[in-house]
Amino acid sequence: MHLFLEQLLNGVAIGSIYALVTLGLTLVYGILRILHVAHAAVYTVGAYLGLLFFKMSGSLLVGCAGAMAGCAVLGIAIERLVYFPLLKYPPYVPLIASIAILLALEEVCRLVAGPYILTFPAELPFPSLNLLGVDIPSSVMGILCITAGILAFLWFLTTRTETGLAMRAVSQDLTIADAMGINSHAVVSFTFAVGSAIAAVAGILVGIYYNQVYSTMGSVPAYKTLAIIVVGGLGSVPGAVAASLLLGIAETLLIGYAHIPLPRDALAFLAMIAVLMWRSEGLFGSR
Amino acid sequence: MNAYVVTVATLVAIQSIVACGLNVVVGYAGQISLGHAAFFGIGAYASALLTTKAGLTFWTALPLVIAITGLVGLLLGIPSLRVRDDFLAITTIGINFIVEAVFLYVPFFGGALGIGGIPRVTFFHVKMKGLPYLYLCLAFLALVLLVCRWFTRSWAGLACFALREDETAAASMGISPVRFKLLAFVLGTAMAGLGGALYAHFMRFISAGDFSFPVSVMLLSMVVLGGMGTLWGPTLGAVILVSLPELFRPLLEIRFLIYTLLLLLMIRFQPGGLLGEASLVRRVFSRLMPGKEAPR
Amino acid sequence: MKKVLLSVRDLAKHFGGLRAVDGVSFDLHEREILGLLGPNGAGKTVCFNLISGVYTPTAGEIHFAGIRSDGLPPHRMAALGLGRTFQIVKPFSNLTVLDNVIVACGVDRYRSLARSFGGWTGAAVRKKAVELLERVGLADEADRKAGLLPLGHLRRLEIARALAVGYRLILLDESFSGLREEEIAPLMDLVARIRQDGISVLLIEHNMRVAMKLSDRIVVLDHGRKIAEGLPGEVARDPLVIEAYLGRGGSSRVA
Repeated sequence: MHLFLEQLLNGVAIGSIYALVTLGLTLVYGILRILHVAHAAVYTVGAYLGLLFFKMSGSLLVGCAGAMAGCAVLGIAIERLVYFPLLKYPPYVPLIASIAILLALEEVCRLVAGPYILTFPAELPFPSLNLLGVDIPSSVMGILCITAGILAFLWFLTTRTETGLAMRAVSQDLTIADAMGINSHAVVSFTFAVGSAIAAVAGILVGIYYNQVYSTMGSVPAYKTLAIIVVGGLGSVPGAVAASLLLGIAETLLIGYAHIPLPRDALAFLAMIAVLMWRSEGLFGSR
Repeated sequence: MNAYVVTVATLVAIQSIVACGLNVVVGYAGQISLGHAAFFGIGAYASALLTTKAGLTFWTALPLVIAITGLVGLLLGIPSLRVRDDFLAITTIGINFIVEAVFLYVPFFGGALGIGGIPRVTFFHVKMKGLPYLYLCLAFLALVLLVCRWFTRSWAGLACFALREDETAAASMGISPVRFKLLAFVLGTAMAGLGGALYAHFMRFISAGDFSFPVSVMLLSMVVLGGMGTLWGPTLGAVILVSLPELFRPLLEIRFLIYTLLLLLMIRFQPGGLLGEASLVRRVFSRLMPGKEAPR
Repeated sequence: MKKVLLSVRDLAKHFGGLRAVDGVSFDLHEREILGLLGPNGAGKTVCFNLISGVYTPTAGEIHFAGIRSDGLPPHRMAALGLGRTFQIVKPFSNLTVLDNVIVACGVDRYRSLARSFGGWTGAAVRKKAVELLERVGLADEADRKAGLLPLGHLRRLEIARALAVGYRLILLDESFSGLREEEIAPLMDLVARIRQDGISVLLIEHNMRVAMKLSDRIVVLDHGRKIAEGLPGEVARDPLVIEAYLGRGGSSRVA
């Protein structure tokens, strides 16, 4: 029973990290209708930057802040230089551009930091807990608390602030929002900045959790998160979070308890195709 | 020609065949697919298994291989009737991952070891390798290009163009979206199957990784680079994208970066492809030879 | 008594709680031009989409050319000789104007896979398409990309495509809206001539002058229900019709 609960907690932790990466993807899709595959590269860059700043300063907080700032700039650059000019083309054009950005950024990471797996020797400043006999290590505690904090911040931002209102207006209809006097391009850039900063946090958390940072760490999440946002309903933030948690738990438990002849990375896609055939708008989506 | 050039040229011819198939699905019928490598793989595995385990020759296996791949294409084309655009793109990515996982994890397909000992193609008791095999691949490429040309001039092809442009309007002109989308899928995947068979008997050893998702990305890049929906575009794209890494070999360390940056610049500034509408190539061509049209 | 080509009986289409079409019945005879009128949101375009197979009715029956046709998909309706235009024009933007019409000329080719493998680039097909373009006055634009045409031309292109398909019935959905004054008269002549070729026409029209002049009979819908049916002169004087339009501030539109 304890083992099961610990597995469950691990699943929730992994699901939380999926959620942090997927959030940016969902926000971007909601606002530009672009499948931002390169988001996973932003996450990789975030892990590297976090490690770099952490090693330079010795402080995880500085590392995190630096990585968030760097990734926000990277996200805005991707949006301004590549996506925005491509909006008038059919959806496959920005999608291919996004894949190209992903591959190029992975190469840059590999060339700059070297083709080795780096370690991320940091401890998250959270206490470990023993709840009813179940050990919760500090890394899991950290991931859960940080994810909860970011979700609360996002909820506040989108529902309680003027900026959030503008974001929702722009995701409804960019042209109409423009006509209503909203500087929609600034809102789009802001969305990219927020999503990318969150991706940086996710990258650092993964780096610490597995104690690994490497150039292709974003390759699998890049496409798996696509499956997640489909399951959650393209563009739906609560759907994306719920689907992320479900997948994290399902993957962990299936690896722990069932012996299925498929790798766990295929599970997300199987779930996605099942959902698509059954309910093509996703679990939480509305079309 | 030295052996190295022959090898690269053979790979170009095979990839061209597969890219032409993808062009039928994406360029002609407008169904975005990011999982074409799965069908390339299904063709390769089918031919490899039929020749190693069932003891068939390449030539007797080939019709079966094409039929099997076309049939799987028909089955996996069904999602395209329910979902479109972004959803279809993600679904096809998923199909690629799942097919690759099946090759990798089901022992029947050789698992992580793949399938080795695939026999060479024999033609009138002559084993084809090197230059003769290149000619064989080029002959098949010519056949595929002829089929593509015929398709664009057939009512079925026109129906696909119409569906690509506007499905509701096309249906109001008697075009069944189900029938013609699936037709494009079957035709496109059958071509991938042919390419897969040629690949298996060229490499003589295949494994799941040869048909992973990045291969699908490269195939789609070929089609986009050359010009979606054009006849010669996929071949041009294959020539460039297969030979480019070879040309950059002296820059070993950064060649993949150059390769991805070129793709990015291309899609950013010339999304219609090299042979597409109003492309740089077309404009230069019409300036150099007024009154003549560049090939498409 | 003329033969009935299209018969609509108690037709209904509900979207959730909205009764877009609610128990509408009417007949359309051979060689007749029937106007389908009504204020915005009356259910006219939904009616068109039910007849042409885009939607399946919630209730009711449609009989076309002697067979029960409700629930048949659009491509089957086209094969039965029903051609239509769209209120929001739907050109094949990347094809030329001529190729747009050629697509429509292949309507009986798409019915069997084997027949669809024949070529469409022959001279006979081209000639037929050019003739259709001449009828709508677009022959000069044949080689232009359809996506580049102005709205007035696109409306005529839609009619040319509908003519290629509809050898029995043509549905015109606001084909006159957005046209310049001098474009209207030739198009009215064209519609009148279509009927002389033995083809029936069902039209939705906001331009009252056009609808009154062209239609043999008129059916008026409001809130998804039929509120009047009859000769143009009768319908225009019908108090219910006047109220339906006036109630929405449309007084000037009633002839």
